[in-house]
Amino acid sequence: MIRRPGRWAVGGLGLLCALGCGPESTGGPTTVTVSGSVLGAEGQILRRQLERFDREHAEIRVEMRPTPDAADLRHQLYVQWLNARATDPDILQVDAIWTPEFAAAGWILPVDRYASDTADFFPVTIDANRWQGRLFAMPWFVDVGMLYWRTDLFSEAPRTWDALDREVRGAIADGTPRYGLVWQGARYEGLVTVFVEYLGGFGGRILDGGRVTVAEEPGVRALTLMRDQIHRIGVVPGRVLTWHEEEPRFAFQNGEAAMMRNWPYAAGPMQDTAESKVAGRFAVAPMPAGPGGHPTAAFGGAQLAINAFSPEAEAAWLVIDYLTRPEQMLERAQLVGQFPTRTASYDDPALAHALEIPPAQAREIIEAAVPRPVTPVYTQLSEILQIQLHRALSRQAEPRDALARAAAEMQELLDRVGLGRGDVAAD
Amino acid sequence: MPPTEPRGAEAREARLAWWMTGPAVLTILLVALFPLGWTIWESLHLHDLRMPWLGRPFVGLDNYVEVLQDRRFWDSMAHTVWFAVVSVSLELVVGCALALAMNRTFRGRTLVRLSILIPWAIPTVVAALVWRFMFEGLEGWLAHDLKAWVPIILADAWKETPFVALLLLAGLQGIDPSLYEAARIDGASSWRQFRHVTLPLLAPAIMVALIFRTMNAFRVFDLIYVLTGGGPGTATEPISLYTFNSLMQNLRFGYGSTLSVLVFLVTFGLALGYIRLLGRGLTETRA
Repeated sequence: MIRRPGRWAVGGLGLLCALGCGPESTGGPTTVTVSGSVLGAEGQILRRQLERFDREHAEIRVEMRPTPDAADLRHQLYVQWLNARATDPDILQVDAIWTPEFAAAGWILPVDRYASDTADFFPVTIDANRWQGRLFAMPWFVDVGMLYWRTDLFSEAPRTWDALDREVRGAIADGTPRYGLVWQGARYEGLVTVFVEYLGGFGGRILDGGRVTVAEEPGVRALTLMRDQIHRIGVVPGRVLTWHEEEPRFAFQNGEAAMMRNWPYAAGPMQDTAESKVAGRFAVAPMPAGPGGHPTAAFGGAQLAINAFSPEAEAAWLVIDYLTRPEQMLERAQLVGQFPTRTASYDDPALAHALEIPPAQAREIIEAAVPRPVTPVYTQLSEILQIQLHRALSRQAEPRDALARAAAEMQELLDRVGLGRGDVAAD
Repeated sequence: MPPTEPRGAEAREARLAWWMTGPAVLTILLVALFPLGWTIWESLHLHDLRMPWLGRPFVGLDNYVEVLQDRRFWDSMAHTVWFAVVSVSLELVVGCALALAMNRTFRGRTLVRLSILIPWAIPTVVAALVWRFMFEGLEGWLAHDLKAWVPIILADAWKETPFVALLLLAGLQGIDPSLYEAARIDGASSWRQFRHVTLPLLAPAIMVALIFRTMNAFRVFDLIYVLTGGGPGTATEPISLYTFNSLMQNLRFGYGSTLSVLVFLVTFGLALGYIRLLGRGLTETRA
């Protein structure tokens, strides 16, 4: 459904470029290319902002390069491009977890020489984009995991997992709604983000420098709780183990779930009375915590980075600087509900109109956000973890054993590539 | 060729023959052997696109050593063998029954023969999606390490049995009806007729079906990719999916190539074994 127009767009842009790029490389304006999400509302708003930029800068022309919206596919494509030292696209929309990888590979340029002042950004958004002390990408919008809860079923959001289990069990006792808490539990990156939130709730971390700490007590407790919520306590349906982010949203939006863990984007469509049965009947809160931890949100979202092989780094920076200005972020918040990465935006009354979620609350959740391990081998580590988390949740292994196996494999990988225990601290 | 022809002409002709077959030979070399050779060469290197700082050093058989110690490799091999054995057996038994039924004369036989092909004509990805939707409704089936095999094997059998049935039907139609007549006159029961007339004469067709199906089952990819993605965990991951994952998702070109070479060796070995068996089977039936 989404892919077809995407492919046409690729073809169309390619053709336009073939016809238009050639002669302009001599004289004429400099062309800068931006790759990222160009579909739907996100694409429209980016196009609009880039057109405005073009009008302000006669010497630069910006073009969009469509890339797949699925994170794995986009990552794969970038890695192939950058391995081939492609000079185009100049600007890459990257997930936070890719920044250290691309930075360590020498594929993206440090941007701290341009971005002299980052004090206005949430610290977590800057920390996640640093590698060996240097900043490699500019935070564009923030994604954080949040607890959506039904205001017609509960009087307030649970602060602890015990309270959540108790209240949700009460709410679904008579069979309506059908599900208690729903989240993305398929074997993919999304599962790791949910785990990171449970883990933080028990005070644990995946990595401590170059040492894998995921199999320590907090990790075991967090994973055991996730499994028990499915198989013993019964507040999470087993089918979440094949769900990505959209299935939980559909369930919650159709009034079939009492609570949901999801990203900010879900709020927009769910407030739309035309398709949502819970419009005006839900609120968000930070994820609950267990003993020894605090409410935690997994930090995600998009960053903008400059291709290290780009011949137009200066012009690319101007585009990035423009796109990450407060006004542009506010517009993104208005049109696609994406959270700004600048703290000052949250004091702007316009943001309260723009978001479906009170800005103060959004801010509270972002401030409780933790990045996933900042290491160049994150995607490899994550794959190991995904498999073992999924094995434990589908009861093929005990949480303790699954995590021990994951930790052993992760540590072996880190040691092999020289990022382990005694080596360079990873963050 | 007249014997009076001078030797030069013969040599010329041989040269001409080489020129004429040359493009075909070259094409085969380019299309089949070059990628294979390249993959083998790649498998002798440490080459991880995500870690360009490691370079692309020649590491000899290191990747092979790592594969042999890789639990996920052995698990995925075991899954592949298990899938191939169960699904192909099922397809052969059901396909044989269907073929026997279709071999009888009844009204609307052509229609039945045509309609049986429908599942086979549906693209695997579409079929896999349909089966996925059916089983997603069943709480926890796709998230259970053993139950997740049920939709995989059913979907494969549903899709591939018609192919087996048609192959066997063609075999059945080649059997001389007078043999059954003779068997009946000798008082053989239907079971004995099946056991001693049908089955031996059907053996070549069964062999062909077996070869095609086992080879394909061994390379199963799209069905499982769509249905379970190899999950839960890696409980239903076949070797081809693991290879794809290493090569295309993790971009570990060296390691992924090693897996590819091993898959090639196994399928090639299977094919050789079958060809020898088939050759023997054919000569036996002729004798």
